[in-house]
Formats: sequence, C-alpha cells, structure tokens
Amino acid sequence: MRASALLLILFSSLLAHAKPVHINVWHQMIYGHRQVLAEALKKFEKENPDITVQATYRETEELRSSYQSAAMGGAGPELVYGPSDQIGPFATMGIIRPLDTVLEKADFSALDPLATPEFMNQHYMVGDGVGNHLMLIYNKKLIQTPPKNTDELIEMGRRLTIDQNGDGKVDQWGLVFNYTEPFFFAPFISAFGDDFIKNDSVPNLNTPALRSTFQFILDMRDKYKIIPKECDYETANALFKGNKAAMLINGDWSWGDYKEAKVDFGIARIPMISSTGRWPSPLVGTKGYSLNVNMKSPEHLAAAIKLLKFLTSESTQLLFAEKVGILPSNLNARNSEIVKNNPLLKISSSVMEVGHPMPIAPEIRAIWDSLRTQYQKVLAGSATPELAAKSAQEVAEKQIHEMNEVLEPTGGALVLKILFAIILICVAWLSRKSFAAFVNGFQGPQKFAYYMMLPAFLGIFAVIVYPFFYNIAISFSNFSLRTFQDWSIVGFQHYAEALTDPRFYSLFLKTVIWTVVNVVFHVSIGVFLAIIINQVMPAKGFWRALLIIPWAVPQYITALTWRALFNQEYGPINIFLQQFMHLSPVQWLSQPFTAFAACVITNVWLGFPFMMIVALGGLQSIPHSLYEAAVLDGANAWQRFRHITWPLLLPVMVPAALLGSIWTFNNLNVIWLVSNSGEPGDQTHILVSYVYKAAFNLYRYGYAAAVSVLIFLILVVWGLSSLKAQYRKETQ
Amino acid sequence: MLKKIFAWASILLFSAFSLYPILYVISVSLRSDNAFQTQSLEIISASSNFKNFSSLFFETDFLLWLRNSLLISAVTTFAGVVLASTSAYALSRYRFRGRNTMLFSLLVSQMFPATMLMLPFYIILSKLHLIDSFLGLFVIYSSTALPFCIWQMKAYYDTIPRELEEAALLDGCSKWMIFTKIILPVSSPALVITALFSFMNSWSEYVIAAVVLQDPALYTLPLGLRSFQASLATQWGLYAAGALIVSVPALILFISISRYLVSGLTMGSVKG
Repeated sequence: MRASALLLILFSSLLAHAKPVHINVWHQMIYGHRQVLAEALKKFEKENPDITVQATYRETEELRSSYQSAAMGGAGPELVYGPSDQIGPFATMGIIRPLDTVLEKADFSALDPLATPEFMNQHYMVGDGVGNHLMLIYNKKLIQTPPKNTDELIEMGRRLTIDQNGDGKVDQWGLVFNYTEPFFFAPFISAFGDDFIKNDSVPNLNTPALRSTFQFILDMRDKYKIIPKECDYETANALFKGNKAAMLINGDWSWGDYKEAKVDFGIARIPMISSTGRWPSPLVGTKGYSLNVNMKSPEHLAAAIKLLKFLTSESTQLLFAEKVGILPSNLNARNSEIVKNNPLLKISSSVMEVGHPMPIAPEIRAIWDSLRTQYQKVLAGSATPELAAKSAQEVAEKQIHEMNEVLEPTGGALVLKILFAIILICVAWLSRKSFAAFVNGFQGPQKFAYYMMLPAFLGIFAVIVYPFFYNIAISFSNFSLRTFQDWSIVGFQHYAEALTDPRFYSLFLKTVIWTVVNVVFHVSIGVFLAIIINQVMPAKGFWRALLIIPWAVPQYITALTWRALFNQEYGPINIFLQQFMHLSPVQWLSQPFTAFAACVITNVWLGFPFMMIVALGGLQSIPHSLYEAAVLDGANAWQRFRHITWPLLLPVMVPAALLGSIWTFNNLNVIWLVSNSGEPGDQTHILVSYVYKAAFNLYRYGYAAAVSVLIFLILVVWGLSSLKAQYRKETQ
Repeated sequence: MLKKIFAWASILLFSAFSLYPILYVISVSLRSDNAFQTQSLEIISASSNFKNFSSLFFETDFLLWLRNSLLISAVTTFAGVVLASTSAYALSRYRFRGRNTMLFSLLVSQMFPATMLMLPFYIILSKLHLIDSFLGLFVIYSSTALPFCIWQMKAYYDTIPRELEEAALLDGCSKWMIFTKIILPVSSPALVITALFSFMNSWSEYVIAAVVLQDPALYTLPLGLRSFQASLATQWGLYAAGALIVSVPALILFISISRYLVSGLTMGSVKG
C-alpha cells in the first residue's frame, strides 16, 4: 500500500516535471527595469524547475484595458504588475483577488505600509518598492546647489534660460517638465494650501489652492519664461538628457535613464512655495503585484503565490535597488548597505517625507481626467484659472457619478425582451422558407455559388456579424465599472442619455466637419494631381509611385511622426515657418483649433493618394478622341474639364468618395494618436474617439456601445440615401 | 508654358509634402536618443550614425517579430485572396437567395466603429482558446478586409464578358475550371489589390494583435515596436529605425504594383 502511494507520488512528480506550470505576468516596467526583471525570473525558474514564467510588457493604459477584457473573458495572466491606483478599478470590477486569505500577516508587516495599500479593508497588491514620486532633478554641471524655494527657482531659472547663439530662440532652459499632465503639477496644489482630493475619493478642486497653482504654472511659462511653451514628457526628457535643461521635475523611475545618458545629476525636493512656506507634496505610491481571480488550476494559484512572494522578497528587491535604484518596500532590505550607501535613495526618502500616499479609489481617474481637461484649457488660454477650477470640480463630480452609476432595469427592459422575442419569432417564421432554401441550396443547381460563398460567409459572420449583435446587446445593458462581472439588459437609458446630451450633437457636428473637410481635400487634391500627372508629366509611373508613399506607410507610424512634426519648439514645421517664412511659431498641439487642424493635415496626407489612384484610373478610361474633338470645337481648358473630364470622372469618384467618407467618419487612429487622446482638454474629439474614451478610460461600456450604434445608424441612413440619390441620377 | 511651370511646381510641392515625414523618420533613426530634439532642419547631421539599426537587429527581438509578421501576413493574404475571389465570383455570376442581403450587409459592415468590436472578439477568442495563437489572428485579419475586397473583386468580375465563360462551358469545362483557368488569370489587377489590402490589414494592425498575442515570442512588428515606447520613456531612435524597416516592404509592394492599382481600383466602377 505504502509502496504504491510512494509510486504514485513519484509518478505524479514525474508528470509535474514533464509539464511545468506556466505562469504569465503582465507588467509595465520601463526598458531598464525589464532587464532586471528578466534576470530575477531566470533565477526563479532555476530554483523552481516545475514552474515557467512568461513576462509580458504592456504600456500602462493598455495593460489596464487588456487586463480588463482578458479577465472578463475568464482568462488573463496569473499576476499583474502596475501602479497602486489600478487596484481601485480592478477590485471594484472583481477581477483581482484579495490577498489576505493567501498570504500571512507577517508577509504584509515585513513591508512598508505604503507598499500594501488597503482598499475596502482588504489587501489587493504587494508592492516591490515605494516611491514613484516626483522630485527636482538638476544637472550638476549647471547648478551647484538646487533652489530651496520658488523665489530661488525663478531667479535661477531666469539665469539659466539662455539663447546661446543669439537667434532669438532659447537653447537652454531653466526648468523643464511634463507640465501639461496633472500628475506632474499635483504636488504644487497642496503646497498652495489645500488637497485636491478628500477622503481618498472626493474631488476638492474648486479651491483657491488650485487656482493659485494654475496661475503659478502660467507665470512660470508666460511671465518668467523659464519653461518651454510646449513640453511633453519626451521633450522634457530629451532636453535634460542633452544637457539643454538645468532642472527637471520627474520621478525616481527616470534615474536609470539619466545615468545611462551620462548626465551628472542630483536630486532634491521640489522647491518650497515662497508665498506659503509649504513644500510641494508629491504622491507617493507603490508598484506591485496583484493576483488574477481566474486561475486555471490550484497548481497555478500555488505557483503564482510562490512567484509573488519571490518577486517581492528581500533578495529581489535588493537586486532592483542595486541595478535601477528603486527604494525597497521590504524593511530589512531598506536597512541593507546597498540602500544605506546609495546617496540618491537617501535623498529620495527625504523627499517622500513631504509626500502623501497615492489615492487608489476608482474615482481618482475621473478626478485626473477632469483636472487634465480643465488645466489644458487654462494653458491654452481658453479658460481663466477661476473658471477652470470651478468646471474641474463640476466635471469630476459628473464623471464620478456616471462611472459609479448602476442602472436598474426599467420597463424598457421588459419591452426590449418582448420586442426581441417577437422579432426573433417573426424572423424565424418569415425566413423558414429562406433558411430551408439556403440549406437546400447546397444540393440545388446553384450549389457551386453556395460553396464559393461559404468560407467568406463564415469568416464575416464570426468577425463582424456576431460581435455586432453582441454590441447591440451591451448597448441596452448596464455594463460598466460596478457591473463588470454581471451585467444585465436594462432598457433604453443609454440611448436616451446620449440623445439628450448637447455634447453628442456638437460632437456629431464636428465629426461631419471633419469628414467633409477631409474628403473634399482628398478628392480635390487627388483629382488635381491625377490630371497633372496624366496630362503634363513625363515618367508618369515615377510620380505615381512617389505620391503613393503616404498610403503605404502604416497609419500608427504616420500619426506619431506627424505629432513630432507639429511640436512647437522642435517640430520641423515650426522651424520651417520661422526660418523661411519669418512667422512666429504656431502652438499646434496645445490650442484646440490648431490641434484639430493638425489632425486634418495628417489625415489629408494619409488619404489623398487613394483618391489620386482612383482618379488616374478614371482619367485613363476617358477616350482621347473626345478631347481632340473638343479642341477642334474651340473649347478651352476649363470647358474641357467642365464638360468632358468632370462628368466622366464622376461615376468613378462618387463611390470612392462615399467609401472614403465612411472611413474618415470612423477614423480613430489619427485623432487619437496625433492629439494624444483628445488634447488639449478633450476638445479635438470626434464621435469615435469620444466613444473609445468612454469605453476604455471611464469604464462606461454600455454607454459607449449605445453611442457606437448611433454612429452606425447615422452612417447607414446617410449612406443609403446618398446611394439612392446616385442611383436615381444614373438611371435618369 | 505657364501651365507647365504651374504643373511642375505643384507636383514638386506635393512630392515634398508626401516625402518629408519619411525623411524625418530617417533623420530621427540616425540620431542618438539625446539628440532627438533638435532645432535644425538637417536630415543628416555630423553626428548621424547607424547605431540604432545595429542595436535593433542585434540587441532586440526584431528578427523574430519580422518573421512572425511575415508569416501572419503571408497566410492572411493568401486566405484573403482565396475567400474574396471565390465569394465575389459567386456574387457576380449567380443569382441566389440572399445575394442582395449579402452585398448590402458587406457595405453596411464598414459603417460600424471597428474599435467597439474588440470586446466581443476577445470573448469569442478566449472561449475558443485562440488567445496566444496565430490561428485567431488569421481568422480576424483575413475576414476584416473581406467586405472591401469582395466588393472590389465583384465590381471587376462584372466587367469580364460572359461570352468567355459560355464558350468554355460549351467546350466541356467544369465550373471550377472556368473559374480557375479563365476568370482568375484575367482578373490579376483586382487580385493584386485584394492581396495588397489583406497584406496591409495584417502587416500594420496593432490593436487586435495587442489583445490576442500575449507571449512575446509571438509578437508581430507593430507590437514589438510599441514595446520601445514605454509610457514614460520612449526609445525614439530605435522606434524610428524599426518604423522605417516596417514601412519598407509595404512601400516596395505599393510602388511595384501601382500600375495594377490604377486599373484594378477603377475598372469596376467605370462600367458597372
């Protein structure tokens, strides 16, 4: 008996060796940190030969949305790593597991409390370090001692903002940072006297503190001129790395980058606000691991916990501290020589003393979002600090309300269900003959056609038809943040809300303008170039190939490239305008109108080649004899175009323009990437990008689905009526 | 004369307009990361070098991504051409029940915002255990380009005279032989376009791939390129070098078949 049990154990352990447990980890670590992670995982796999680990990098936002959909599909990685503010939404959706049942009390008490944040009285994350906080980083070549207060900061900033070659443009900045992003300016708010969030989840934005902070940033930009006019994270980073900025506000994650770029830098607290005598208070948080609620088996759970413990263990934390300078959350690790002798970490922990913990409730997302939009309006000059603070509060409250809303089924739900049943019965009844005919068709005289159609039919059904109906179901449901796991059909509320919202109509108008402007440019440039190539140019093939280039480059590359071209300080477009046209630089991406124009220019660039090719084809099918006859009759160039080219080109261009309009109307890529998801202040959105934001940023899946059904209906009605008009014209 | 000057001027202007962004990407790919922000308009400066390209090939998994992308694109292009050419032929030549509904729904399917289909996609794929497999991507990619391709192919087939087939039928050819031996060879411009669209659809697709593929060993080029773009520290030099290499096959393809594009895209609509 005992022998057989032993044999069984032996056998099962052999099996275990044959098929190791495979664990997935999703993380959002930056490049340098990923290499340390890989090293740690290699060690783990060596110690645990029965477990294999796969680490996958995802950009923060993307990690959030892919994890949500993965967990909803009942799958996803066993471990997910990210900043602590993702706990709120994930725990609310019920897609991460409380850790209190799987870990010991001692596991938590070994760590800094900041690294084991509690949400709804439960632990959902174990952090492998603390920090993630902002500080002043300064270039030691340019500054000996960092400024202590803002008076010194401004004085130093002015001294160090220099036009070195006398061309009227600044070559070295006093201070740079990603000041358009609220996370980077949040530390100042409390230094001006008030917190921007109360009780961890209530927005507190309509305050004198927020107004003064807005004004302070504006002053640094416009009055003292010590920060660049347009400065995103990339710009700030590159300027500092290139020794073209004396000071920078950035977080502890960036040190590795600057070390690698061989910048001799020091760190300090963000200078005290002279007028209030208070220190700016950066948000201090953790990044850590959470467990998926969906595990394939108990073995997976056990392996995932083992890995979680390993990744947050003292030895792994020390590895990260040593290689990339993360302040360990493990209290033993923090007392080690590696940490104690690291001057950066020493100052970093002194910076943390004035910080406060990162809020993690899901509401924080709505607060950031409203703060961002209003703040960007202030920067663009389209709102005063007073107005912006007031609207920020209102928008935040509204978004929090929408996000947390759980719609209850109304009478509409019953109506819908009955309606659906009736439609189903009617369709079944009416199509019973068609269906029978369809099935019989596979044996009938037309069977060749049926078999030719079948594969495409199946593909389209799986990829387009089924998801489409699924979406319609969601649009009638209360699917959102708080009903993530069990949503139900509730009725027409989302449609009613969308159709009574003035914003829907203004976005619709903007989408129409976007579509018309784009298609007009696409078609007119396309036809114009086609005529020139066809009539005048030698080597037609060469020009055709040259002008086709924008079409051939993948859209996501194009969009990001144009974003760089439009940069106010370093974008070639502005440099060209200044050097050759002697114009003042245009604030392309920070003003609503020009940002929208930038999107249009990008999209025109993308779209004209298609129309040009279609027009070329059309032109080549026009018989040359017609023109010869017209010349004999004495028609001039315009008359020839008006009476021959245009009418004969029309039947070719109309279907192309129709298709082009549909594509443009639904073009998310360009708006989303060029305007960096609707900047400034959500004012560049068209309907599709607005839908995308509602669904993936604010968790309002039901509402987003309803709006996308409305978009669909608009296009169907418009498309059909213009097809009909075209048809009528042709048959006349 | 004046007309010629005007024509040359405008064509040169537009050529510059279409070329410049590409030149800019080249320029960034040749700079080191720290020199990303520059106020000069030079494409190649004294400090330009090929470091980004060499680290792209030797220090990253670029070749692996390239292989995956080529594999996926080749399969989906093949599947797309087969599916579109056969079904469009049925729609063009046969009058069967459901034909009009099919044609109509193909057109209408273009009108739904594609991003909203992501969620249901994901749920289907995970139910079918197709996450982290190329199979799911093959199905999605080859089907999403289908509506446009089928319309395109159908419009082209409509212009081919039926007499061709009738003659062959008299000679005793089967329907399948007529299709493969007579129709397909004369449809090459439309086939080339279908192939091109299917290829582009998978070659540069990012959003779906990001959800379906989680194992870095399966990454496609767009996914790989995105990994240089961490949320807070993009490696612009590497990204630009990669972007350039991703664009090259598409560019070559487009330029080499631009002749077919002209006839293939318009043939149907001119007569039909």
